[in-house]
Amino acid sequence: MLDFLRTFFDLHEILDVLPALLTEGLRNTLLIAALAIVFGVVAGVLLAMLLLSRRRLVRLPARIYVDVFRGLPAIVTVSLVGVGLPAAGLRPFGREPLGYAVLAIALISAAYSAEIFRSGIQAVPAGQLHAARSLGMPYLTAMRVVVVPQGVRNVLPALAGQFIIDIKESALVYLLGLGFGQRELYFIAQERQAATYNSSALVAAGLCYLLLTIPLTYAVNKLDRRMREGRRFTAVPAAVAPVPAKAAV
Amino acid sequence: MTAVSVRGLHKNYGPIEVLRDVDLDVAAGETVCVIGRSGSGKSTLLKCLNLLEEPTSGEIRIGGTEITGARVDVDAVRARVGMVFQHFNLFPHMSVLKNVTAALRHVRGLGKEAAEASAMTQLERLGLAHLAQQRPGRLSGGQQQRVAIARALAVEPEVMLFDEATSALDPELVKDVLDVMRTLAGSGMTMLAVTHEIGFAREVADRVVFMDEGRIAEAGPARATLDDPETPRLRDFLARVL
Repeated sequence: MLDFLRTFFDLHEILDVLPALLTEGLRNTLLIAALAIVFGVVAGVLLAMLLLSRRRLVRLPARIYVDVFRGLPAIVTVSLVGVGLPAAGLRPFGREPLGYAVLAIALISAAYSAEIFRSGIQAVPAGQLHAARSLGMPYLTAMRVVVVPQGVRNVLPALAGQFIIDIKESALVYLLGLGFGQRELYFIAQERQAATYNSSALVAAGLCYLLLTIPLTYAVNKLDRRMREGRRFTAVPAAVAPVPAKAAV
Repeated sequence: MTAVSVRGLHKNYGPIEVLRDVDLDVAAGETVCVIGRSGSGKSTLLKCLNLLEEPTSGEIRIGGTEITGARVDVDAVRARVGMVFQHFNLFPHMSVLKNVTAALRHVRGLGKEAAEASAMTQLERLGLAHLAQQRPGRLSGGQQQRVAIARALAVEPEVMLFDEATSALDPELVKDVLDVMRTLAGSGMTMLAVTHEIGFAREVADRVVFMDEGRIAEAGPARATLDDPETPRLRDFLARVL
């Protein structure tokens, strides 16, 4: 029992690693995750619009992109982008591994977000687009002003799940080797574990991840509730059962 | 002056003919009610007039402009034709005021203040100004439909289309909406209304068009046509709904 406690909850170990985790680790994890999330959301909405296009030629590239990046293990994508690109002479971020990590996780996040947004947008009743178009709004305006905002509201909880995945996947940057000052939570903790053969640093890092992910969930759920209360008694489209694309208008 | 002119309109869904050779003229300021069984093509006819449905063949003119040609600016056509839907289709994530300003801002390109001033005038006219900051979900069906009418009127259309505007309403709310439509008809708006309210058609419409199996089976002055139908089909239909 004592061995167990000492391996996972050695207070001395935890206090020792905590400053590095809280200053360097948390900052870099947040940086990678936040940038990947922002890119993922923006690219995800755009991809969702392409996925909903009437034209096959527009739909197809988006479909392939989504299938590929959802289908690959994250670790493969991170290695391909972070190790592969620089080796091939493509160095958009120089020797900054964090840049490649952001890119890789953003690419994955965009693929998942695209499907989330697509289902949310499809759950918006067709009458909304009809009404907007009947007022003379061009298709893209109608989507931007009327349909997409409602679609996004439909999928906030699912989106929170994706943000959590993005935060966790930021740990994969450890594959790329990080210098001092670039290390994120997991990298710091596993270095420590390798050095001391004690897992308390990992437990501390784990707590730091929970410090990010759990409040995020509650924050998004609260936002979700607030938005729903704003439109109480209206027909809220049930869940996100994707319906076949309606004859476009 | 002819506000709406339809010539030889056909609409097919695959092998199914929904509209067969429809001819119709509506004079400026005229109110025409379209009646008929469900599935007779009356809603489809209405949707063709603002190109929410694409005609298979035939010619439609709005205020003299042909809208069925290949190189038609669909959005410009729709801005000239207001439409009110059976299920209101208000934008639930916007306040009543924003519902009405949406087209002014994003179609007309008006600034926020100009759009809101114009929208408030429209809402006041329909007795809805006190609801401006509410979300549509908090309103009764009758109020929602009146907001939808205000929204359509905001862009100052030449023609208003009503697609069973009162069918989804509780009986006690129907009158509010019909009153607005009556006032609008009296103000000289050109109106085409698909309706099951035969009493309203008889009282307010200048003409009635009876559709049957995708064709106009009978048309004429509202009162005369409804009181003394010529065709057995219309006589039969009226016997069922009255």
